[in-house]
Amino acid sequence: MHMPNELLSVPVAAGCFAVAAAGVGLVCKAAEKNISQEKIPLMGILGAFIFAAQMVNFPLPFPPGASGHLTGAVFLAIVLGPAAAAVVMTSVVIVQCLIFQDGGLLALGGNIINLAIIPAFVGCAVYRFIAPKPGEKARLYIAAMIASAIAMVAAAAMLSIETGLSGVLAVPFSHFLAAICGIHLVIGIIEGVITAALLVYLRKMRPDVIDGYGQAHPGSKRMFFATAIAAVLITAACLSLLASDKPDGLEYTIGADGETIIENPSPAAASADNLHDKLAPMPDYSRPGMADNDKVSNGWTSFAAVTGSIITMLAVWACSRLIRRKEPSQCTTQ
Amino acid sequence: MHHAVMDRLSMQSTFLHHLDARTKLIVAMIFTVFVISLPQTSISFLLVCASGPFAMLAFSRVPLKLASLQILCLSPFVAVFALSMIFYDTTPVKPAFGPLEFRATAGVLRCIVILVKFAITMTTLIVLSATTRFSDILAALTWLRLPRILVMQIALLHRYIFIIIDRTCNVLRARRGRKFRNLGIKYELKTAAGMLGNIAAFSTDTACRVSMAMAARGFTGSIEPLIKPKFAGNDLLFAVCFAIYIAVLFVIKGIV
Repeated sequence: MHMPNELLSVPVAAGCFAVAAAGVGLVCKAAEKNISQEKIPLMGILGAFIFAAQMVNFPLPFPPGASGHLTGAVFLAIVLGPAAAAVVMTSVVIVQCLIFQDGGLLALGGNIINLAIIPAFVGCAVYRFIAPKPGEKARLYIAAMIASAIAMVAAAAMLSIETGLSGVLAVPFSHFLAAICGIHLVIGIIEGVITAALLVYLRKMRPDVIDGYGQAHPGSKRMFFATAIAAVLITAACLSLLASDKPDGLEYTIGADGETIIENPSPAAASADNLHDKLAPMPDYSRPGMADNDKVSNGWTSFAAVTGSIITMLAVWACSRLIRRKEPSQCTTQ
Repeated sequence: MHHAVMDRLSMQSTFLHHLDARTKLIVAMIFTVFVISLPQTSISFLLVCASGPFAMLAFSRVPLKLASLQILCLSPFVAVFALSMIFYDTTPVKPAFGPLEFRATAGVLRCIVILVKFAITMTTLIVLSATTRFSDILAALTWLRLPRILVMQIALLHRYIFIIIDRTCNVLRARRGRKFRNLGIKYELKTAAGMLGNIAAFSTDTACRVSMAMAARGFTGSIEPLIKPKFAGNDLLFAVCFAIYIAVLFVIKGIV
């Protein structure tokens, strides 16, 4: 999934560099805080292991002649934690670019985001959310598979968004997104199977290597929700920039060729529409009172998407609080 | 191709090899930005742009066959992306080359442009990596203020890549020697997991040994690069030549 230079425009590549630099700075700070001095060689050598592991192919049942291999970000995230895994994968991506010419120099920022930061954090958050207890082999397989598949698809979706924003696609964005995500879903499942098989092997033969890692821990659920919220916000903001200013399917059907298919002369409907227009804080995803031709400005669409996402999440959280059953207290009063 | 070949090429002694890594990195970056920002239709101008990296390739004594193989090995993803252009953009166009006129579609032109741009930028990157020792790249990354832990990580990664890859090659050779046919997904997966587990265990054992050896030598959590990058007269001369080359390209762009 290494992006060559040709998939990005210069402004998007510069933006990706800035985001990647900020992300790498943060994960390096977190890794320095959490990783002891003795673990530094382990990080370096596991990075080299990821290179080597990519050489171990195994044939796939379909399509004929295809083979799969470990990509490694989720495995590293399970073994080392997300911040250290992101640092290791960043170094792998930099060496792949500068020494082995895999991925363009201009696309380095984008590749760090897609191949290091996103898979490490998303994969680790999902894995820890459904992490197995010791001895639960089936759950370990499922957790590794789901984590790898989601991490891969998230990275592929980000790649599509970056390419779409660059405006280099001759293919419609939705086709490109569907194709890339579909392919990477399959790759992610294969990655998950091999990651799980590797974890099972290490747990059986060398438990010391993964001992104490890959288990659920107190911050797991918090981390999962934080990652999910960040993913939703980023996706909403970025996808809304690519939103078409054409009417949607229903609007188009209603207004095609100026011919009205549905007509409702009821004054109640008209007054409800008026009230809705007056009360809606952002009618048609824009500022109230904006001229029609200004309405679909990218900035306002993004703002509307993010605000909408936050409000929806707050509403869901409030509903879940309301319908949650009150657990009896575990504390006893003397 | 052996995996250490690029490392061996960077040990040669030519004008390009003696330049500061920062100069080469910045020049490569500016040239890549210039090529990528060219419009999607200027094939002839792109071929003019290819002259620079090709000359550098020749001066730096990088075998042309090796560079071509490297570009071909890395191109499948770009090839698929470029070929998709042919099917989606079928606007008819009539490109001309001197007295010759062709009938084609805009998709075909875009496909060729993408492939040529890829070849040019990859050649630039090949020249950069084949003329710069890894220790110099690390010094340049330190100068670029990359986080200390990341530079250390890249240094250790590069130091052990070849050791772990050699070990993996041995394991793969052993599998090839014992397996004569496809054994079915379940068995293949089990074997691959065993091999990967074995290499992972070897990697962690090596890490333990390295950690102890580093502690015995007084490792305090940071590695100081021995090489201090220094700009010299050669770097200035190279930068001036590059600026003139870009200026000439701009003039030609206006004519073409």
